[in-house]
Amino acid sequence: MPSDPRVAQALAALAQPIAEFRAAVQGALAQADAFLAAQTADAVTQAASAAKSLGVFGSHLDAAKFAAMFPSVAKADKASQAALTKAAKILRSVATQGDDMALAKVSDGRKLGATIDAALAGAGQAFGAIIITELVRGGRYKAAEHERLLDPSEFRAWNNAERRFAPPLVVEVAGADLHAGALLDFADGREKIVLVVTGDAPPAALVRCITPGTFVLQTVDGTGLDRLVGYEGPAIAAFLPEGAATFMHDPTAGKEPWQRLTVPFLPTTPFKAVGGFSAWQMEQDVKMLADLARTPFAVPAVPGAKGAPAIGAGDAVDRIASWLLGTSGIAGNG
Amino acid sequence: MSYTCGLLPVLDQHEDHHYEMSEYEGAKARWCPGCGDHSILTAVQRLLAAEQLVPEQTMMVSGIGCSSRLPHYMKTYGFHGLHGRALPVATGIKLHRPELTVFVTMGDGDCTSIGAGHWVHAMRYNVDMVAMMLDNGIYGLTKNQTSPTTPQGFKSNTQPYGSILPPLNPLEVALGITNASFVAQTAEWAPSHLYATLRAAYKHKGFSFVRILQRCPVYTPAIYQKAVQDPARIQLLVHDDGVVTPDLDKIYQSQLHHDPRDLAAARALAEQTETIKLGVFYRDPSKPRYEETRRVAPRTPAERVALLEKEFARYAV
Amino acid sequence: MSAASATAAPAPPKVLRVPEHTVEIVSDSGEGAQKCGQIFGAVSAKMGNGVWTVELIPAEIQPPPRVPEGASGNRIRLGEHAVTNWGDRTNLVIAFNEQVLLARHRVDSLADDAVILIEDKWARSEDADIVAQWDAAMKELSGKHYRIIPVAMEDQCLTIVDNPKKGKNMFALGLLARVYGRDMERIKEQIAHAFRKKSEEVYNSNVALLELGYHWAEDNIDFRVEIPTHAADKPLVVMNGNEAIGMGAIASGMELCAMYPITPATSVSHYLSEVFEKFGGIVHQAEDEIAACGVAIGASYAGKVAFTITSGPGMALKTEFLGLAVMTETPLVLVNVQRGGPSTGLPTKVEQSDMLAALYGQTGDSPHIVMAPATIEECFHIMITARRLAETFRTLVMVLTDANLATGVSPYPKPTLDEAWQAAPLDLAPVKEGQKAYAWNKDTGLSDRIIPGRPGGMFTLTGLSHDEGSKVAYSSGIHQHSSAMRSRKIAVLQSLLVPPTVYGEESGDLLVVGWGSTKGAIEEAVDRARKEGLKVSSLHLRFLSPLEPGLKDIFKKFKKVMTVEINYSDEIGDPYINEENRRRGQLSILLRNATLVDVDCWGRVPGEPLRPMSIVDAIRGRVPRGGAK
Ligand SMILES: Cc1ncc(C[n+]2csc(CCOP(=O)(O)OP(=O)(O)O)c2C)c(N)n1
Ligand SMILES: [Mg+2]
Repeated sequence: MPSDPRVAQALAALAQPIAEFRAAVQGALAQADAFLAAQTADAVTQAASAAKSLGVFGSHLDAAKFAAMFPSVAKADKASQAALTKAAKILRSVATQGDDMALAKVSDGRKLGATIDAALAGAGQAFGAIIITELVRGGRYKAAEHERLLDPSEFRAWNNAERRFAPPLVVEVAGADLHAGALLDFADGREKIVLVVTGDAPPAALVRCITPGTFVLQTVDGTGLDRLVGYEGPAIAAFLPEGAATFMHDPTAGKEPWQRLTVPFLPTTPFKAVGGFSAWQMEQDVKMLADLARTPFAVPAVPGAKGAPAIGAGDAVDRIASWLLGTSGIAGNG
Repeated sequence: MSYTCGLLPVLDQHEDHHYEMSEYEGAKARWCPGCGDHSILTAVQRLLAAEQLVPEQTMMVSGIGCSSRLPHYMKTYGFHGLHGRALPVATGIKLHRPELTVFVTMGDGDCTSIGAGHWVHAMRYNVDMVAMMLDNGIYGLTKNQTSPTTPQGFKSNTQPYGSILPPLNPLEVALGITNASFVAQTAEWAPSHLYATLRAAYKHKGFSFVRILQRCPVYTPAIYQKAVQDPARIQLLVHDDGVVTPDLDKIYQSQLHHDPRDLAAARALAEQTETIKLGVFYRDPSKPRYEETRRVAPRTPAERVALLEKEFARYAV
Repeated sequence: MSAASATAAPAPPKVLRVPEHTVEIVSDSGEGAQKCGQIFGAVSAKMGNGVWTVELIPAEIQPPPRVPEGASGNRIRLGEHAVTNWGDRTNLVIAFNEQVLLARHRVDSLADDAVILIEDKWARSEDADIVAQWDAAMKELSGKHYRIIPVAMEDQCLTIVDNPKKGKNMFALGLLARVYGRDMERIKEQIAHAFRKKSEEVYNSNVALLELGYHWAEDNIDFRVEIPTHAADKPLVVMNGNEAIGMGAIASGMELCAMYPITPATSVSHYLSEVFEKFGGIVHQAEDEIAACGVAIGASYAGKVAFTITSGPGMALKTEFLGLAVMTETPLVLVNVQRGGPSTGLPTKVEQSDMLAALYGQTGDSPHIVMAPATIEECFHIMITARRLAETFRTLVMVLTDANLATGVSPYPKPTLDEAWQAAPLDLAPVKEGQKAYAWNKDTGLSDRIIPGRPGGMFTLTGLSHDEGSKVAYSSGIHQHSSAMRSRKIAVLQSLLVPPTVYGEESGDLLVVGWGSTKGAIEEAVDRARKEGLKVSSLHLRFLSPLEPGLKDIFKKFKKVMTVEINYSDEIGDPYINEENRRRGQLSILLRNATLVDVDCWGRVPGEPLRPMSIVDAIRGRVPRGGAK
């Protein structure tokens, strides 16, 4: 059980994708188990399992005949069975972890990036196990080609599809270890990472994660976490101690940085050094955030259409007004 | 369950595969020569290639009509169902498998006549899919009967003295539906506009309704003839949140800057039919999507059994 | 019969020991008779009586007070052993006014010697019209030998509450508790449960009224009824058939119910809407039945089987889509909770008239599976089998229930849940090299389903006639072959079915054949007829397509075979009706066709479940004493 209530809050925000990942793992595990059990089943056992699957009303059917008509699984060779046994073991160990599967903690001496890598490698292995399950069930398993899928695989080795279905992660990290740059390695597919930051922390570290397609959030009370799961691309959020900058960078909110960014709170100097972060570096982060969020005085006309009127001044005023409302925290993100 | 299904492409894709346009081609298209549907098919294939959509993760759903044969000519999964009923089927697919990319092809009769009820409600559900209405102003497949969009006075086999009623304006209908989130119009004879519009529709998260003006060379060759020959009869709606096609600037000089967020302006534009307007009339990405609001956490068999035991306890004697 | 003489304070009450008794509680709608009846039924089941409860529902939402059409309440049949149907007539009635009582009298619901406890304030009303109505009613009722016991219910309630209109039902419950010797502690538990969302005060006042009724009965009612109880050897659950269907759907692992509201099917979706999401499922209320069916098909096609639930008019609308499911071999489960028809018909009342429409209502040749549960318990279990068959046979499975099962409430053994019911996962594996969308086994017509997402399996499913590769067929040979393949699957399923067992002797003068909700009433009727010395047995069918095997051999051992159904059939002897033009019961048409046996039929469409006694009458009519000719 997480001791920090913020961890529970983060897990709750990610409940949907966690449940989906877990269901995928458990579904594959059930299939693997059933497949392995059926390999050794004789006619009587097969009839019994057919009768089971048909339910009580199925007593109007002859289960033995049914089992013979619909053999539940094909026979698999030794190598396939061995691979499936191994896959089932991996799946079982992931399945029994429950929510812990989505939890990681940066422990002493380890870097943030390495911690995330290790946590995701387990998930990568679970992907491999799911794939092996399907390959064996479909009679397509070839040891030479597929065996390696059961090895732990780091995020950088994942293909596009795997990245799209990457499981979410909640990471506990001390403020002194908040090396945001490392996070960008994982900003791909639909990866969702929530950092729960303890102790003194650099106030706007996550500004370094902002790219046009990455959802980035800094919060001190959980505000905005609910928006994470809905975003189709990668998302990184940090739950920071009071006093840090809060902002939300939502790629769907517009084309320009200032349209995408809302900054309800910007801390002011002086800053105090934390871990390897100097006060000057912190100031840079905060300035960067302010720069990105700054509305241009004049909005350039949309290029294009001859004869079309340029965007009117009214339009720009509207946008600036809505931005101002947004930054003041009065209105939701436009 | 969507999750597991979403992993499927992983199976055959240990290396990331690049799809050529030809990899999206199915059976040879058997529409009449000169039929506008050919150009629509090409635009769809081009879009899939540009977006590198995984063929087995892509669904083409259709009703019945000439236009509805499109899925057969694609190499994706296809569902060629019933006349007027493509949208409920597509909704069902998306509810179970939100990770699939769904395109729907309908005719004007399909969508605005027999399937009109489903059309209204599909727009309201706002399930993420691209719904293309191929509007040739006639029932093509059944050979020349009046459709709701047939121009008034047009002579068909069922109204040989001329179509009796003024035509239905699908854009006005669509823009009148609560929770509509994307309404656009394009024309098959302007391929780059067609492509750009389909792309915008695909990019939009939600139900993207695209009316595609489509020539039927056999029954309604004349209805769009003037517009094809005289670009001045067409006005492009341009906006960087809509469709921008710089290559058409020379041909279509009449252009209007229209912000797709402005519903009142969109409705006013839809009403004006002296010129044909092509572009995105309306877009609001913030409208709630049904498949998202109805999304529930999946349950494993064991979890379900445990919960069901509790449920039975409520009914215990 | 006199209304005045009954209140004479009794000496120790006379105890009536009976194997069964039927009670009705009727009131204007909104007066709480249903709650009273439900609690009484539940407590009786807990005490170890067999129970069958039926709701008496007026057709209108808010009918005016004191009119026969407004009669609302419950009928509860109690028995020493399991009760399988609503029985014949009521032995004891509690009525809140004489008009709702008249309603029950007029539909011949009351036994000739029924005891009636009636609120008598109307007889003392200041409104002359009401008094006149009361007098007229008493006159109408005097034709029978009812024993009418007037009870000043509201006056009694007024002694402890201000508003006697509220809580009168608890007073009535107290009367029943005393007469039937029900366990007061259990009743209080039920009251606490029923009012769990209300304040403690509400609970207390309800319990006070309950006790008031109990003591009043102690002092004033001169009889008690004792029905032996037997503690159940297995844990029981109690629910109606629609709830059972909803739970069965959950237990089967289905995750989508697409529907459009229609009585009497809707309550399945009411139940599911409340709980389905926590099981990972959703109820989709579509814009109409056509869309509901289309959504279910789309979902089924893309993954796990979905189901759609409706009643007759809705099934008619779904027809085209049902044909599509068959043609494209897309698994689908449809539940039709039958009501009276044709057209809007009898929306809230039971009938079994959709059988032929279910079997043959689709256009073209559309072979599919049709099954019917016979009990509330089977409503639960049938859903698991339905999903499994839909998936393994790649076709449409229809489940036909009816308003009798939908609204009847009765205990049954709690199912022993099994995860295997939810098995049959999606096959996610890539498609084998060269696998066709319809790789029909030439003998069985069976083939593996390819769902979207499976690499290498891309095909376009089509409702047009198609070949193995789902390519549109342009030759007659292909249509002949694919038709045979779809049809063959039904024969294959038949080869897997177990021949049905006869209830009673395996030979005799008459075999009664039934299907669906009539099982309990038919078997009870057969028992009674056999006691009279008639050589009659019965057979109950669960599968209508394919029909269960061995029917002809079973029929041969009886001199006469007759179906009993809740659908219309002509009677020989009626004007114009003869053997040649007689329109027969739907099951009998089916059986005659399948067996070439001259199957007779007896059908009624009274808008209520069949009463065993009327079936006994029908049996007597077909088997004259001394055996059939
Ligand atoms: C229920 C039903 N009614 C009628 C038809 C006949 N039908 C097939 S396509 C069609 C109209 C086609 O017109 P449209 O939808 O505009 O498509 P187009 O062929 O012009 O592309 C009709 C009436 C049918 N297949 N099913
Ligand atoms: Mg058309």
